[in-house]
Amino acid sequence: MKKIWHIGFLDLKLTVKDKAFFFWMLAFPLIFILIFGNLFRGSKTDTKASLTVLNQDQGKWGAYFIDKLKSPGIELTVEATEPKEYFRMLLIPADFSAKIEKRAAQTLELKKDSDANLQAGAVAETKIAQAMVKLIAELVLYGNRDMGAFFDSRSPYRDLVLVRTRLPEGTITKVPSGFDHVIPGILVQFVMMMVLIYGGISVMEDRKRRVLARILYSSASFAELFAGKFLGRVLMGLLQSAILIVAGLLFFRLNLGNLWLTGLNILVFTLAMACLSIFVGSVLKKEELIVGVSVLTANMFAALGGCWWPIEIVPPAFRALGMISPAYWAMDVFHQVIFFGKGLETVWPNLLVLLAFTAVFMALALRFFKINE
Amino acid sequence: MQQKILEIKNLSKNYGETVALANFSLDLEKGEVLGLLGPNGAGKTTLISILSGTLRGFTGSVMFKGQDLFADRNLRNLIGIVPQEMAFYEDLNALENLMFWGGLYAIPEKELKKRARELLVVVELSSRAKEPIKKFSGGMKRRLNIAIGLIHKPELLLLDEPTVGIDVQAKVSILDIIHGLGQQGTSVVFTTHQLAEVEQSCSRIAIMDKGTILAQGTLAELIRIVGEKEIVEVSGEFSADAFSAIIRRSDGNGMEILSVADHRAHLAFADSERIPAMMQHLFKHHLPIADLKIKSPNLEAVFLKMTGRSLRD
Repeated sequence: MKKIWHIGFLDLKLTVKDKAFFFWMLAFPLIFILIFGNLFRGSKTDTKASLTVLNQDQGKWGAYFIDKLKSPGIELTVEATEPKEYFRMLLIPADFSAKIEKRAAQTLELKKDSDANLQAGAVAETKIAQAMVKLIAELVLYGNRDMGAFFDSRSPYRDLVLVRTRLPEGTITKVPSGFDHVIPGILVQFVMMMVLIYGGISVMEDRKRRVLARILYSSASFAELFAGKFLGRVLMGLLQSAILIVAGLLFFRLNLGNLWLTGLNILVFTLAMACLSIFVGSVLKKEELIVGVSVLTANMFAALGGCWWPIEIVPPAFRALGMISPAYWAMDVFHQVIFFGKGLETVWPNLLVLLAFTAVFMALALRFFKINE
Repeated sequence: MQQKILEIKNLSKNYGETVALANFSLDLEKGEVLGLLGPNGAGKTTLISILSGTLRGFTGSVMFKGQDLFADRNLRNLIGIVPQEMAFYEDLNALENLMFWGGLYAIPEKELKKRARELLVVVELSSRAKEPIKKFSGGMKRRLNIAIGLIHKPELLLLDEPTVGIDVQAKVSILDIIHGLGQQGTSVVFTTHQLAEVEQSCSRIAIMDKGTILAQGTLAELIRIVGEKEIVEVSGEFSADAFSAIIRRSDGNGMEILSVADHRAHLAFADSERIPAMMQHLFKHHLPIADLKIKSPNLEAVFLKMTGRSLRD
């Protein structure tokens, strides 16, 4: 075990010694995080359907209507004067009650901010529609009687109507977004890219310079050599993850949900990438080829796997195609844990799929890992 | 009687149709420095690869200190290998390299550090211990390559062409290190195709070609194979066939053909007085001779006699 650690730790040390290390592992991914994070910026504080109501009504019906809007899924704020900032605001006019009592038609105005999250907006609008249906139904039932008696708490017509909205099976009601989506996405992409590039090149160079053979000349066995190289790449992946997580916590208030589960997800994903990097370094003989193949593979997997944009917003066929990418399964675990608060009972199949990827890549790496050119 | 540290018996290895080693046998005693001399393709690197445990699929036996070398992995801890390539990490400095390679053996860190510093003195790199290896000259890299092979104090050191691609000064330095190792009791086998190197630093020389040992012994013993003959090297714009045809027309008494190749031939004369007559014969037949050298019996002559070709061919 000591020899495995000795071999693996050296690979990590050589990676850190590289002059471009901090650019590739910190600066470059941070640029990606800033770009993609800002693309989804509006969603950071608007993932819960917020609704501001400007109530200017002079009578009782405005407050009654607002009462109908209240719901656990809605973050409701009632204002008497128009606030400077809001995502969406419903305006109840001063003659709202007067028009109801005169049985006159009226129009309510809903103002929206251009950055507002569309999904959250849809939830708020559904709630407004439900409240209107309830109110109208009660007015239909009570419309011919004494309007003043309506607010008597014993009135048999109050809260008589219940409106339920049912969405089709499989409808996505919430889309992971903001830095909490972007940072795990860029983490997955850069673990792929950095482990494949650094890990692949060092396997190729060690073979060319006969360093692998020389390690075998010593008392290290083939199994210890392979395990050491595998461990080195796992350590590279974990270091890349740690750098981005720390940066995310410090600069972007990253929420990781269940830390143990997200940590386990990162570890299992890194195992797969460590094996793939040994395979890449074993079959390719030139540095530029390894860089090209690694960048292409990592970016393709990242795009298919939903690292750049939430996989939930792409067409179902594209989502199905994404399943060929290990990134898809890792990103799904992040989304389930961070955004939906799910536990191991939900994400274990994803972790098993990632372990299956590890097994396949490990078999390829063992089959093609060569000591000599 | 000296203790035998290495006994190789009937070692054979083929690469498809190509014979790399053919019933190769060799013994080595403790503290002995053996130079394994042979042209490219003689099987030297194959032998080192087998002894280092990285090449399989051979027949024969290798005993190290009386035990089967391949039966016990721990025996490998007693052998140091210096490959032909600069097989180390150029992104580490010399001290870091020695610490890494030494760390693969169960040497306590404190002892390892001490050993690494001692070795850096031996290979004259102590003042450059923490400099990037990328700045090292070829000779310095070669010396570090040897130091890595010695980090775990091996009883047997195998060096594969340790002086390839370096200047004369660096070569002398490396040969001194090798010679010194033998004097300290470390057994050394080093392969080379440089005659001067084995003459200078080996207690015993083995000449190998086509995967087998052709002759072995001390320098004096090997030279006796040729005898007290004068060696004449003839070079010029002639073909091997043309040279051989002209030689066949001479009486040839007291003369031995050591080697004939295009542009170069070697002849051995028991009586040096016969040399002018032979030269006259060659000129008479208009052989385009550009140069002619008369040499005393040496290792090159032995090599020519044993292999029928020059190391440069």
